[in-house]
Amino acid sequence: MALYVIMRLLGIVAILAVMSVLVFAITQVMPGNVANVLAGQFADEATVRAIEHRLGLDAPAHVQYWRWAAGILSGNFGQSIVMERPVGPLVWEAFLSSALLASIAFVMVAVFGIVLGVVAAIRQNRFTDHAVSVFSYVGVSVPEFFWAIVGIIVFARYLDWLPSGGAGNLSQGFWAWASHLVLPVLTLTFTLIAHVSRLTRSSMIETLRSNYVRNARAKGLPEGVIIRRHALRNALLPTITVLAIDVGWLLGNIVVVEAVFSYPGIGRLLLFAIERHDLPLIQAGILLIAAVYCLANLIADLLYAYFNPKIRYGQIES
Amino acid sequence: MADALLSFDTLTLAYRTPRGVLRALDGVSFDVAAGETVAVVGESGSGKSSVALATMGLLGPEAKVTGSVRFEGTELVGLDERARRELRGRAIGMVFQDPFTSLNPSLTIGEQVAEPLVYHQGLSRAEAHQRALAALGEVGLPGPAELATAYPHQLSGGMQQRVLIAGAIVCDPRILILDEPTTALDVTVEAQILDLLDRLRRDRGLGMLFITHNLGVVNRIADRVCVLYAGRVVEIGTKEAVLARPSHPYTKGLLASLPRPSVEGATRRIAPIPGRFPDLVHPPAGCIFATRCPFAEEACTDRAQVLVEAGDAGHAARCWKHAGLPGWPEADDVPRAARAAATEPLLRTENLTKRYRRGRLGGGIEWTRLAGVIPWPRARSETVNAVDGISIEIGRGEVVGLVGESGSGKSTLGRTVLRLIDPSSGSIMFDGADVAKLPDDALQDLRKRAQIVFQNPDSSLNPRRRVGDAIARAVALQTSVPRDKRRAHVEDLLDRVGLPRAYYDRYPHQLSGGEKQRVGIARALATAPDFIVCDEPVSALDVSVQATVLNLLDRLRDELKLSYLFISHDLSVVAYIADRIAVMYSGRICEIGPAEAVLSPPYHPYTQALLSAVPLPTPGAEKRARVRLRGDRPPSEGQRSGCVFHTRCPRVIGSICATTAPPVHEPRPGHRIACHLPLDELMRAPPAFDDVPAEAAE
Repeated sequence: MALYVIMRLLGIVAILAVMSVLVFAITQVMPGNVANVLAGQFADEATVRAIEHRLGLDAPAHVQYWRWAAGILSGNFGQSIVMERPVGPLVWEAFLSSALLASIAFVMVAVFGIVLGVVAAIRQNRFTDHAVSVFSYVGVSVPEFFWAIVGIIVFARYLDWLPSGGAGNLSQGFWAWASHLVLPVLTLTFTLIAHVSRLTRSSMIETLRSNYVRNARAKGLPEGVIIRRHALRNALLPTITVLAIDVGWLLGNIVVVEAVFSYPGIGRLLLFAIERHDLPLIQAGILLIAAVYCLANLIADLLYAYFNPKIRYGQIES
Repeated sequence: MADALLSFDTLTLAYRTPRGVLRALDGVSFDVAAGETVAVVGESGSGKSSVALATMGLLGPEAKVTGSVRFEGTELVGLDERARRELRGRAIGMVFQDPFTSLNPSLTIGEQVAEPLVYHQGLSRAEAHQRALAALGEVGLPGPAELATAYPHQLSGGMQQRVLIAGAIVCDPRILILDEPTTALDVTVEAQILDLLDRLRRDRGLGMLFITHNLGVVNRIADRVCVLYAGRVVEIGTKEAVLARPSHPYTKGLLASLPRPSVEGATRRIAPIPGRFPDLVHPPAGCIFATRCPFAEEACTDRAQVLVEAGDAGHAARCWKHAGLPGWPEADDVPRAARAAATEPLLRTENLTKRYRRGRLGGGIEWTRLAGVIPWPRARSETVNAVDGISIEIGRGEVVGLVGESGSGKSTLGRTVLRLIDPSSGSIMFDGADVAKLPDDALQDLRKRAQIVFQNPDSSLNPRRRVGDAIARAVALQTSVPRDKRRAHVEDLLDRVGLPRAYYDRYPHQLSGGEKQRVGIARALATAPDFIVCDEPVSALDVSVQATVLNLLDRLRDELKLSYLFISHDLSVVAYIADRIAVMYSGRICEIGPAEAVLSPPYHPYTQALLSAVPLPTPGAEKRARVRLRGDRPPSEGQRSGCVFHTRCPRVIGSICATTAPPVHEPRPGHRIACHLPLDELMRAPPAFDDVPAEAAE
């Protein structure tokens, strides 16, 4: 098992290496030029050239890539061109705020998605089931920025219960800090919960119809035990995989949500960097997101193996 | 009967459907006493499993049950759910058909066997575990303590079925309900499980309700038999009476439509039951079987039939004229078309091998040296020899039967000779040309001349394509029949397989299982092939339907001069249709020869075990001596040295079997046996079938 994890980690390093080339290539072909941005609209050609030379942008592409990659390997992610600060701490700080937002949303998606799915499966074709279906279809069929705006209008403008954007600080008190998280988290959760609950529902229904559940009923076990002990564990296996895929969705949605709520996270930082062609910032941000996604999938595979004895144990000899 | 453990009285089960009320069971009455095995026999749709589920209270809420089911005097119909649950697993144990899916994949064996004790008897987990170990030992599983910590997928099918039985008896129930407990198992394993069930019944004085479609199994295990047809008991009586002196026409038909594994079958078609299963929403007035009965007359359709005494005590049949009935009409004798001898065979394989590499996630990593120097990690994998050096010939117009247990590589061999699977090595000569290494785009000729009929007609027909279109597609792709003649061509094919031409426009779900299989055959015939691989073509069908499809295949062979590679796990079926039989074990052929030679001594020990394990429906035959195999697992990769059968062979003579490849005996031309035992030793095996009638007569 340890060897397997090491192999997978090596694989992630390989993926990140490929990603770094891709990210670098994309930033090279992106239209526009950071030197133009820095120099301002009316700068002459010579000024732009001088800035390019100062930033090393006039070197051949492979030399630029090598400088960048070598920097990363020695722990130096470079200097943000626009903000003129080291990229490492900048990205890390933004990442931590985003991670807070994303992990709360993820836990809510997992918990509520699974609970709603299981309840819908047990109450199949009854009112609860239909209510969950309607709820999740509405959630999945409307884009998240719409819910974000609805949330701002209702809770921030009319009711004035919650701030419309920004991030709070714990030093201002718990509620001041938490209140900034409520709307972004709800927006992220609402759109993703449908995914998880629909899948959990169908996988749970299938499991409840399986032969081993019928066999458990024939043994006279109480219904609660059958659901918890026999059905749930097997029904949740596909959910684990979907949750890992949803981490990808979450990372995509977070860019939109942070923009709408002006939340200072990695999504907004990336948007800022892309608008201004701040290459080191873009590169570091995207690599970090790719790494998170890879790790999430690795964790999902490990959990899948943990809950599925078929992967853990081979055949025994009789 | 006051001493009945379980008694059914006019049990009726109805479902409301959009077309009206469907009666799945109609007035079923019979008893099961302690220490007695009652078999409920019937084909699919007969309602036999509903009897079990109604007893357990496991039918869904949409099922409407009336009548009475009494267990030790307690009425079960209408009993509240809590009281029913108390009975389930404690007083009434049940074992289901499919052991592979009936155990929870994520709980250990020990937990699954022990859990009813915790809920029914309030034992602590530790006490329950001890009792579970005892139960695992009682069902004949070796090393219960170790096994209890294993997960279901680590066990073979036979072991899984034993675990299910252990879970059903662990609370000491009074009665055991078994729903086709051996149908999914290989014949040698089936024999072991039947032995176990018989022993449990005797040791514990259990009453057993045994549900099956297999009359041979009934003969092995039952004391009394209850024959169900369309939800009604059509015949009931002792096993000897029902099987030896069947009174109801349906029972007679069922027995007649079984292919018998005797040499005689080679020239005689099987007598099938004609017609279709009745619609249970609008059942025919009068006798439910009248539309398919060769003895039916006008009086049969007038009034519903009741059970009437039939000679022996307790023997009754639902037929007013059963007393004077003759036997089921014999089928025609058809002389077997002589094979063109000594010509170049149509298909010949030489050392054909198919190896699979199976990677194992988490199975560990091996460090190897890439190019001799660079350390390079590889995921550990194992090699599976599905087909291991097979050389076989199939002549023009010849049927070669291929038998062996599941996992022996029969299907892989069938698909490899068609190049549906690419061989790892060896040659496939088809009509003189080696097709083993042809690139895929050069296989047009082979695709046209060599076809396949699959086991499961449900999954091999596209449900959204009309039957005629499915066949026409094969015509369009592989033949030069012009577009405007295709429909006529397909209708001719439907004629040939005995389907009405109007079926062209039907969808698969409108057809019965046997009709779907006929469509599968018509599709295979569409390209006018010379050679067809029949991969278990009748295994998914009921016996009465199986007979008609076998007859059809046999007739088409004669009419169209076809060659078949006929793959089946059922020796009786292969004995009926094949000219030659090859017996396969773990990827190798251990015996091959003319059908009558393989079915009589000398036998390869594996053939002998297979033949002796076939349950025969003739009373008396269940007492014949059986050859019991050791264990129920094929050899692992490390055990494939010498003779592959040595790990299970009951006649191993020493280490030579495990180290040296066996020599090939040829007791008569074309009959080859690969075994270390000397030929005269093999000769001494008793015949598996020929002595049966004599013994039964004693």
